[in-house]
Amino acid sequence: MSSDALRLRPPRHRVDRRAIRWWTTRSLVTAAAATAVPGVAAVLVEPARFWLLLATAVAGLAGLAVTVVMPQWRYRVHRWEVTDTAVYTSSGWLWQEWRVAPMSRIQTVDTERGPLQRTFGLSSVTVTTASAAGPIEISGLAHELATEVVDQLTETTESTPGDAT
Amino acid sequence: MSGHEETGNTTPGRWQGLSPLSVWANTAGGALVIVPIAIAVTVTFALTPMDWWWALLPVPSAVLFVAAATYVDLLRLRRIRYRVTDERMEMRSGLIAKAHRSIPRERVRSVDVAAPLYARAFGLCTVTVGTGESAGTGGADQLQLQFVTREQGEGLRRDLLQRGPAPGSADEDGGEGAVEEGEEELARLDPRWFAYAPATGATIGIGFGVLATLAGINAQMGGRGWEWLSQWLGLPSGAEIGAFILAQLLLLVPLTLFALLLLGVAVTLAVAVETWWDYRLARQEDGTVRLTRGLLTSVSLSVEGRRLNGVALREPFVLRSVGGAEIRAVATGLSAGDEQKTAAKSRLSPAMPGRKARALAATLLRTSDSPFSPAPRVHPRAALRRRFTRAGIATLGAVAAAGALTWVHVQVRQAWAGTLSSVEVDVMAVPLTTGTAEAAPVWGWFAAAALFGVVAFWYAVGSYRGLGHGVHPRHLVVRRGMAVRTTVALERSAVIGWRVTRSPFQRRLGLADVSATTAAGEGLYTAADVGLGQGVAWAEEAVPELLAPFVERVDDEGGDGSEEGRSVLP
Repeated sequence: MSSDALRLRPPRHRVDRRAIRWWTTRSLVTAAAATAVPGVAAVLVEPARFWLLLATAVAGLAGLAVTVVMPQWRYRVHRWEVTDTAVYTSSGWLWQEWRVAPMSRIQTVDTERGPLQRTFGLSSVTVTTASAAGPIEISGLAHELATEVVDQLTETTESTPGDAT
Repeated sequence: MSGHEETGNTTPGRWQGLSPLSVWANTAGGALVIVPIAIAVTVTFALTPMDWWWALLPVPSAVLFVAAATYVDLLRLRRIRYRVTDERMEMRSGLIAKAHRSIPRERVRSVDVAAPLYARAFGLCTVTVGTGESAGTGGADQLQLQFVTREQGEGLRRDLLQRGPAPGSADEDGGEGAVEEGEEELARLDPRWFAYAPATGATIGIGFGVLATLAGINAQMGGRGWEWLSQWLGLPSGAEIGAFILAQLLLLVPLTLFALLLLGVAVTLAVAVETWWDYRLARQEDGTVRLTRGLLTSVSLSVEGRRLNGVALREPFVLRSVGGAEIRAVATGLSAGDEQKTAAKSRLSPAMPGRKARALAATLLRTSDSPFSPAPRVHPRAALRRRFTRAGIATLGAVAAAGALTWVHVQVRQAWAGTLSSVEVDVMAVPLTTGTAEAAPVWGWFAAAALFGVVAFWYAVGSYRGLGHGVHPRHLVVRRGMAVRTTVALERSAVIGWRVTRSPFQRRLGLADVSATTAAGEGLYTAADVGLGQGVAWAEEAVPELLAPFVERVDDEGGDGSEEGRSVLP
């Protein structure tokens, strides 16, 4: 081997900018729920009020911190690329993941639009292989782009031989 | 489609039913479990101070339950039909919700024929047909016939994995353990291998489990079991024995451990003999690998050769220290419900000498040299540092726990002593904990924590040494684990993708987990804590064309990271 070190280059495309707002909203909802549980309990339970309020404050601050930091961070990490031979994605923020799957091993391709994603005009593309490692997901694509990607993937996989296992 | 046709051969295209005897086999199997329980409950009721008529309830209700189950089973049996045609295997079933399942025969990856003792008495067996479809979603990818006659089972096993034209002459009976034509025997049981069976860390634990169960039963019967036993054997009373035990603690603790060990050895040996008796592994002419084993429950498992994508060499710590190992299959279509069942199903050998296990792995994969022979590449030092950090944190936790336990210890000696010892006398007739608490010094907890720390760091070193990855001409190899060291050789052509994950800590240290994804086995085989550059180089070498477009070289690094195992910072 040569003396150069190897590493994975980032996939070519970023996800849609609107994904930042989507992640922010999603995180806000989770944070609000996590804060509300001890908050409501603090109102109802008199004797443990101090500790419950403390828990509320901790949950609220942590949720807020995640909501501020996570979406920007994710936007820098989340990337995707579809070539003639493979699908390549990166995702995550604190814990990051890169996935590569060759076209010949792809079993199914779907799009998915949750209610929250729909309000921002976004879609997720899910690429399934026969592996137990779980599907590859490209989330936060503009809806039209997602449809295009699915069409392209379907076309390529259909013309690639193999029984995908 | 009448239910009366009883056929020994699988004629193509004809719908067949399960064996009518299977209802009785199910009844026998159910009764074997339920009736002893009912009798045990009756005895318990009779011994406890309850009204006498309580004792009359369990057995009749158990009989009623078994009868009802038999009736439902009879209805169910009439609805189940299956057939094997040239292209598909189909099965219809369902009392209320009708189900029709159809598997293309080319999707059949494994055929598993099992005969538990109670079914064997009726000449029956269960056939489980595994497919590679929807791997990972529990149980949905297999089709089970429970029960068919042994001839039908043998026929299905032979036919289903056979490609090509109709399953014709399946009449000649293979019988148990008979050598079929053109078979190559890969391994056969050597009874000496049973010596490896007790070499598990669980041996003492199992012995302890048996004792704990007995103590639990005794406690539930309000101590009557012990009273009866001591009267029968003429033993002195519990209190006298307790006093004796506490007086001879130094002698008795090692003796007890030894007794537990003996008990554990007996249990593990019995389990190994039942599981692996008559073990035989053979490759048939068409490449199908066939495993037969079992004393009471005889099991036969056939895996299509093309679907056997690799093998795993499994060396749990205790087994490894006596030079043993066992072989598991990495194959598609072997998944069964949950992970534990899948693991049980993929076992291809009992614990056997390591050298033999490696040779068997090579034969299974049809390589002349062992797939594990290329020296595994060493992972970066940073991986060791990570493990040291974890060991350090665990040690701190142990010290904190020691502090808490010291406090409890002092309480047991003083405040809680009375209540606790009376509870203990009730449960196991001996105030063991309170007695020990009196005898043992309080600083013992911190000594234990220090010992734990030493073990944790030793474990960290072993765990780092266990890490390895490599590339064999046809396989990629990963190794990891200290408690259970697993070396996996996976066919390079079976890799269906890559996954690289990095935690914040790994990014700081320039490490990554590089995993090959595959349809076979666990679906994900990981080179843990490799240097990023090293891992990518390995992945690219193992499956050249896949990663190439996404890999870039970093020149400004100066170090020759990969081979030396030095880390590469992003």
